[in-house]
Amino acid sequence: MKFTPKYIDQNVNVSKTHPLVEMAWLIGGLLVLVVVLYLILGFTAELAVTKIPIRAELQLGEYFADNFDSVDNPALQQRLQQLLETLPTESPLHQYDFIVQLVESDEINALALPGGHIVVFSGLLEQVASENELALVLAHELGHFAHRDHLRRLGRGLGLTLGAMLLFGEDSSAGRLATNLLLVSESRYSRQQESDADRWGLELLVACYGHAGGATDFFRRAARDAGSHIPYLMASHPHPDDRVRELQALIAAKGYPVAITESLREDLLTVGSEE
Amino acid sequence: MILTNVGSVPGKKIVEHFGIVQGSTVRAKHIGRDLMAGLKNLVGGELKGYTELLQESRQEAVDRMSEQARQFGANAVVNIRFATSSVAQGAAELFAYGTAVRVE
Amino acid sequence: MFDVILQNFDLFLFFCLAVLGYTCGTIAEKRHYKSIIRREKELLKLMVVNAEGHFAEGVVKQSFLVNGSAVISNDYFKRMLAILRNIFGGRVKAYESLIDRSRREAILRMKQEARAKGAHMIVNLRLETSTIGRAANQKNQVGSIEALAYGTAVVMNRK
Repeated sequence: MKFTPKYIDQNVNVSKTHPLVEMAWLIGGLLVLVVVLYLILGFTAELAVTKIPIRAELQLGEYFADNFDSVDNPALQQRLQQLLETLPTESPLHQYDFIVQLVESDEINALALPGGHIVVFSGLLEQVASENELALVLAHELGHFAHRDHLRRLGRGLGLTLGAMLLFGEDSSAGRLATNLLLVSESRYSRQQESDADRWGLELLVACYGHAGGATDFFRRAARDAGSHIPYLMASHPHPDDRVRELQALIAAKGYPVAITESLREDLLTVGSEE
Repeated sequence: MILTNVGSVPGKKIVEHFGIVQGSTVRAKHIGRDLMAGLKNLVGGELKGYTELLQESRQEAVDRMSEQARQFGANAVVNIRFATSSVAQGAAELFAYGTAVRVE
Repeated sequence: MFDVILQNFDLFLFFCLAVLGYTCGTIAEKRHYKSIIRREKELLKLMVVNAEGHFAEGVVKQSFLVNGSAVISNDYFKRMLAILRNIFGGRVKAYESLIDRSRREAILRMKQEARAKGAHMIVNLRLETSTIGRAANQKNQVGSIEALAYGTAVVMNRK
């Protein structure tokens, strides 16, 4: 029995694939997976949303409305009523009992909650300069109701969390990675919804005031503060510049007249200055 | 290639030693299998997917070890030992090592 | 430009760490392999088997336990690779070189110890692997493995 020392340069225990190549394959695969999940999610959510009766939604709404420290605001309610009256009588929106509520917050935002609750943040009210602008904001939220976006978002959010949990396990980094990617695609979807609601809102504004004056003022002001476009690639709302452009294109296409805006009436001015 | 897990090849004589050879592989299960295993855990029973995976990986580890032995010019690997370790969450390492020899 | 980085800080950090991990990890791995190969060639003459040795009486002067171990960590890039691989399943190539390196390093250290003590061969070698940090591919965990090699070093009586 003898011992023969020999050296072998080949290493059978390590694969030859270059790590960068593998990374490219894996990322590509992940993207495909995310796209498939996204499509399935969209399909099921769409199916579910159209099937949920408004009555079930109203009950859900009670739950959400309690989460906000909000107060009823008669002045805003009156503006909304004015918009609702211009809606055609066959509109499904008449099944809702819309309630506008004001929340004390610096955030410049408004929300459409299930069950017909519209929440307006006081920060937004301070930014609004004319009746027409406010009407567009409210009409935009009504647009979300008309498209049932509030439910859709809820359903997709739920489906997203559930799907990611089932597939990747509750607490794995792979799951977190995939969920983040799905969220990015979700935000794209939500940008589309915002644009649709803008368009719907514009039409209601024109129906109410007879002209499209003031429709773009609010976003134009927001665009000044918004800065670069790049962060908006992944945001849930489109860049204000894009919203202005889209609205203007629509105004031009439909030939809506643009007249002088009506400045904010007394009862709402006081709300802003209370701050 | 003769593979044994005793110190010699029964009935044959070891004429030459080449030292340690080893083969290892790390495998992960894809999430679909993980999902099915999670469901199976509720009712118990054999996780066929995992058995298959581990069996395949162990075979690969042995193949890699044999390949190394072949490169040495050996015709047998004796005293083979297996080891399994979980290197990372969801991934298992299968490892085999032994002594490469030439028998007559 | 600066705004963009700030607003997507997570993404930016992720990218930077991946690039850093890839370059440093690759350089470290190359250097380590070079050193492993050099030392393996040096110690090639020292016989290692994992069989129990049978020695005739009077041949062995002395025998003792030797061991060597190495803990090697994965870089950020490869960790990402392993996390992604976990979704699809299959060979986790990112960990192969990690394990290979630590195991060879452990054997080398064991051999070095045996050589320093004047041994002529090592018999009954055993190899163990263990993970440090339960889940080595979790983002915030230390992803590293320990390889341990141990065996019995034998010093012969030389005539």
